[in-house]
Amino acid sequence: MALLEMRGLTKIYDQGKIEVPALRGIDLTVEKGEFTTIFGPSGSGKTTLLNLIGCLDRPTAGTIIFDGQELGGLDKKDLAMIRRHHVGFVFQSYNLIPVLTAYENVEFAIRLVNKYDKKEIRERVMRILEAVGLAGLENRKPNELSGGQKQRVAIARALVKEPKLVLADEPSANLDSKTSEEVLQVMAKMNRELGTTFIFSTHDPLVMEYARRLIEIRDGQVAKDQRRE
Amino acid sequence: MFLTKLALKNLARHRNRTLITASIIAFAVFFYLLLDSLIGGMTEMSYEMIINYEAGHLQVVTEEYWEEEEKLPLKNLITPEPELMAVVKNVPGYLGSSAELNFQAMVSNGVNELPVIGRGINPQDFSGVINLTDYFVEGEMFHAGERRAFGVSPAVIGKRLADLLKVQTGDYLTLLVKDKHETFNTIELEITGVIYTGNPLVNEGLVYIPLDVAQEALAVGDQVSKVLVRLENKNRAPGVAKELAGQLQAVNPQLAVYSWDQLEAVTVAGAKQMGNRLIMTIILLIAAIAIINTVILAALERMEEIGMMKAMGLQTKEVIYTFVLESTGIGVLGGILGVLLGLAGVGVFTVVGLDFSGIIDMAPYGIPVVGTIYGVWNPFSFVTVFAFGVIVSLFSSILPAYWAADKDPIKAIYPR
Repeated sequence: MALLEMRGLTKIYDQGKIEVPALRGIDLTVEKGEFTTIFGPSGSGKTTLLNLIGCLDRPTAGTIIFDGQELGGLDKKDLAMIRRHHVGFVFQSYNLIPVLTAYENVEFAIRLVNKYDKKEIRERVMRILEAVGLAGLENRKPNELSGGQKQRVAIARALVKEPKLVLADEPSANLDSKTSEEVLQVMAKMNRELGTTFIFSTHDPLVMEYARRLIEIRDGQVAKDQRRE
Repeated sequence: MFLTKLALKNLARHRNRTLITASIIAFAVFFYLLLDSLIGGMTEMSYEMIINYEAGHLQVVTEEYWEEEEKLPLKNLITPEPELMAVVKNVPGYLGSSAELNFQAMVSNGVNELPVIGRGINPQDFSGVINLTDYFVEGEMFHAGERRAFGVSPAVIGKRLADLLKVQTGDYLTLLVKDKHETFNTIELEITGVIYTGNPLVNEGLVYIPLDVAQEALAVGDQVSKVLVRLENKNRAPGVAKELAGQLQAVNPQLAVYSWDQLEAVTVAGAKQMGNRLIMTIILLIAAIAIINTVILAALERMEEIGMMKAMGLQTKEVIYTFVLESTGIGVLGGILGVLLGLAGVGVFTVVGLDFSGIIDMAPYGIPVVGTIYGVWNPFSFVTVFAFGVIVSLFSSILPAYWAADKDPIKAIYPR
């Protein structure tokens, strides 16, 4: 069943007198539960595509249907609500809130969803922290955690609200290969156990190894779309 | 609730910045309270100066005279008949009353002439309303019925006038006046005393002479310009003025009674106070700029964090809320610190005062500072300046917070 359907997706950045096309009519369908990697050279349009899928930006042309809902007609507030309830983000630079502990960073995301009581929030946060291998570190602040641990917190934060989709932009870029592998294993485990759809944008061959679908983007178009077992 | 918690944690996150901004607000609040106390003290002093040296608490005059008082006319005068004075002396809280005759004059030392206001008084009654005893720098007040050789009248003048005319006690002056019939007349004077008060008019513009001498020279019979009344409590003056005016209707329907707060000089003092409040508002604006600066710094520093928050689905208004709450927190902190400092400062100020006399003589400039100024407590100022500090912090942060919160999440996440 399709989670995402993109048709003729085009994005052109207007930089004064010059128009820079980032995406040129992309057609893609992403099924629920996929573990997909988008790769390609710098400037090929990977991050732009991820931003459009994550409701952070709007296409210049084309449509995106997210879980049966066309995003084109939605205003800023509606898009924020889709992000709040259905999309989790994992960024290269973790983007944790420095004043909050690991627990609170994760708690923040689930509180925004506003559908669980206090006890349930605690249980869910602790469970996800344990699942990403951070049991016992929940009271540490980001500056007391290693890069890998921070990225795990970011993953836990993205997953705790049980979103339909997790978007990870270069999640391994700041991590060594061992830590990258650990983090990827965590995400693959979550994908298997929770059925959450993951889409990565990366240059990292290790990430590609884990992916069950590889989409290559070149010059704003899909150059290759390959599924693996 | 979580956003509130986040805002409070952010306050502690940059302790130094929070403390510096709060200190600026605290300083502004503290400075405002001190200045307010000082201005309050000075205003109170200026009221006391007007009451103590010029006007007393009440003035009984005809309405026509009151309207033209600046010209010091010799018409529309009143006769202080025993019946009138009996009513005056019966008002609640009565301490004393004094009839006076004011007139325009030129005073001459034989070489130079200066315009002055002549004031005919009965020294005994006058001291019951206006006590100048402590302000004599030379000589003393003349006595009732006192005359010098060759019909020369005694007189008391201010020190600055004495300096300008280069005269001292025992010297002679001539007052050139126009009487009721517009005929020129002169009054020969011998200076019996020189006074120096905080009131510039008394210091350089007034010549006190015996009332009967003035009445005779101005050909006004036993009439006077007004009757001044002193009460036990100045705050009761407006009420007593109304009551007395009602009672005097039976004696003379043309008579009116005005309390000290209706004098033009008091209104001017109030206007000066407004100007000073403007200065104080500027001080608080400085606090607002500090807050704006802090919010912008915090926003720039936290751009990626803001982007992440928006990616997580926070709306612009929710991000604004966290920033505004932080700034308001700083405002509350600064306000509390400022009020505490203000309590201490004003407390010292009201007890010890501030001695300006050694620094500059402000009396010639109309600023009623003679010796030490004591501050006054104004609880209303404490409440309003605290509230104002918090409100300024709140409102001054909205715009920069909006600027930060409305950023495109992509540009915020990837600021490079």
